[in-house]
Amino acid sequence: MLSFFRILKFAVQGFFRNFWLSLVTITMMIMAILSMTLLVGINHIKDTTVQGVEQKVDISISMKPDVTREDVESLVHELEGLKEIKSVLIVTPEENLEIFRKNNADSPIRDALDIFADDENPLSYSLVVQAFELNQYEDVLNFLDQDQYLDIAESSTLRDHKDIVDTIDNLSNVVNKYSWYVIAIFILISIIVIFNTVRMSIYTRKEEVMIMKLVGANNWFIRTPFLLESVFYGLAAIIIVMVIVYPLLDFVIQPSINSYFSGLELSAYFKNNIFYIFGYQFLILAIINILSTAVAIKKYLKV
Amino acid sequence: MVKIANLSKIYDKKVKALNNINLHIKPGEFVSIVGQSGSGKSTLIKLLIAEEKPDKGSIILGGWDITRVKNREIPTLRRQIGVIFQDYKLLSKKSVFENIAFAMQACGFSKAEINKIVNQMISLVGLKGMEERYPHQLSGGEQQRVAIARALVHKPKLLVADEPTGNLDSINTREIIDLLKKINNLGTTVLLVTHDREVVNNLKGRVITLDSGHMISDQKHGRYLL
Repeated sequence: MLSFFRILKFAVQGFFRNFWLSLVTITMMIMAILSMTLLVGINHIKDTTVQGVEQKVDISISMKPDVTREDVESLVHELEGLKEIKSVLIVTPEENLEIFRKNNADSPIRDALDIFADDENPLSYSLVVQAFELNQYEDVLNFLDQDQYLDIAESSTLRDHKDIVDTIDNLSNVVNKYSWYVIAIFILISIIVIFNTVRMSIYTRKEEVMIMKLVGANNWFIRTPFLLESVFYGLAAIIIVMVIVYPLLDFVIQPSINSYFSGLELSAYFKNNIFYIFGYQFLILAIINILSTAVAIKKYLKV
Repeated sequence: MVKIANLSKIYDKKVKALNNINLHIKPGEFVSIVGQSGSGKSTLIKLLIAEEKPDKGSIILGGWDITRVKNREIPTLRRQIGVIFQDYKLLSKKSVFENIAFAMQACGFSKAEINKIVNQMISLVGLKGMEERYPHQLSGGEQQRVAIARALVHKPKLLVADEPTGNLDSINTREIIDLLKKINNLGTTVLLVTHDREVVNNLKGRVITLDSGHMISDQKHGRYLL
C-alpha cells in the first residue's frame, strides 16, 4: 500500500512535470473523445427519431360497405386474440367521413361527396391495427388474407413510413462512417503523442530512474508511474470533455433541439448514461494509453 | 565475499574489455583496483552490478552467481551492493535527507524506518545539521558523503566506489578515503576503483592492476604500478 502511494506520487509528479507536453497529449485525446461523444449523440438522435416514426406504423383495414358493427367487433375480437397485436382501434363510418373531409379540405376529391345526399355516408368501418414489433405486421396481413375474412375486409394497407426510416438510416450511416474515420485519426494521433510524451517523461526522469535502478528499486516500481501517468492523461481528457459537454447540452444543444423536435431529450440521455458513455470511453482510452506507454517503456526504459 | 573466475567481456565481437580475470576478495577487505582509461575498470563494475552480462566466466557474490541472475532478481542483488560514482549522481531538486531517503522509498521502506536509518547514515558520514541542504549548497566532498550514505542505507555487503575522488581536491579526497576506511572497519567490503596514485600508495592495502583488460598484478600491500 505504501509503495502504491509512492508510485501514485511519482506518477502525479511526472504528469505535472512536462506540463505543456501533457497539454498537447490531453488535447489530442479530447478531440478523440469529443468525436466519439458526437457519434453517441447522433446515434441517439437517430434512434429516437426512427423509434418515433416506427410507433406510427400500423395496418389500416377498410371494411366492406355492408359490414355490420357486430361483424367488425367479431373481427376485432379475433385480432385481439393474436399474440402479435398491441392494439385494435375501430373507426366508425362517421369518423372516417370526418377524417376524409378534414384531410381533403382543399382538394377537389372532397367534391366527390356531393353526389351523395347529406344523410348518406359512402364510407364504411375501418380498423387501425398496431403490432408489438415491426416484423410482426407481415403475420397480421397473412392472418387477414384468410378466406373467412375476405368477405368483410375490403383492403388492408400497411402504413410503414419506410421512406422516412430509410432516409434517416442512410443519413445516419453516412455520418457514422465518417465519424469513425475522424475518431480513428484522433486515436492514431493520440497513440503517437502519448508514445512521445512518455519518451520525454522517461528522458526528463532518467536521473531518478537510474538512481532507482542503482539502489535496487523493483522493476514495477520504476515502470508503473509511467503507466499511471498515461492513465491520468485519459482521465484528465475525459473530465475536461464532460465539463465542456454537459453545460453545452443544457444551455445550447437541448434548447436548439427543443425548437425542432419534441420528445428528444438528448441532455437527459447523456445524464442518465454518464457512466456508460464516458466510463467506456475512459476504459478504451486507458487501454490504448497503457499499451502505447508499455511499448515506449519497453523501447526506452531499460531497467 | 566476491569470487571472479575466468571473466571475459568482449564488445562488438572484437574489443576485449576484460580478458580472463580471476579474483577472490575476502569479506571485510579493502581492495583498490587501478588502471588507466580503457583498462577494463568500468566494465568490471558494470558486470558486478549486473548492468551488463559477461561473455564468459562467473562472479560469485555471497554464494550468488551474478552472471546468471534473472532480470527480476537484479533489484535484490543491487541492494547487496552499494555503488558510488565520481559525479555523485544526486537529485538536484532533493535535499540531503530526501536524496538518501529516496533510495529507501523506492524499495518500499516505511517512513519510520526511513527516518531512523537515514539519520544514522547522515551521522555516519558526518553530515549532521546539513539534512535540509540541496546538492548545489554542498561542497564536492559533502556531495560524495551524501552518495555514500545513500549507498549504505541497505547495509550492503560490498561497497563499490568508482573513482569517488575524481572530482575532489586533496583535502576532500583524504576525507572521503578516511570515510571509506571507517566504513570498511565497520565490516563492509570496499572495492575502490581509481587511477589516483597518491590515494592508492597511501592506503598501503591490496592493489589489483588492470591493463587493457588483463589483470597484470595483485599485490597484498601494493602500490600504484602504472
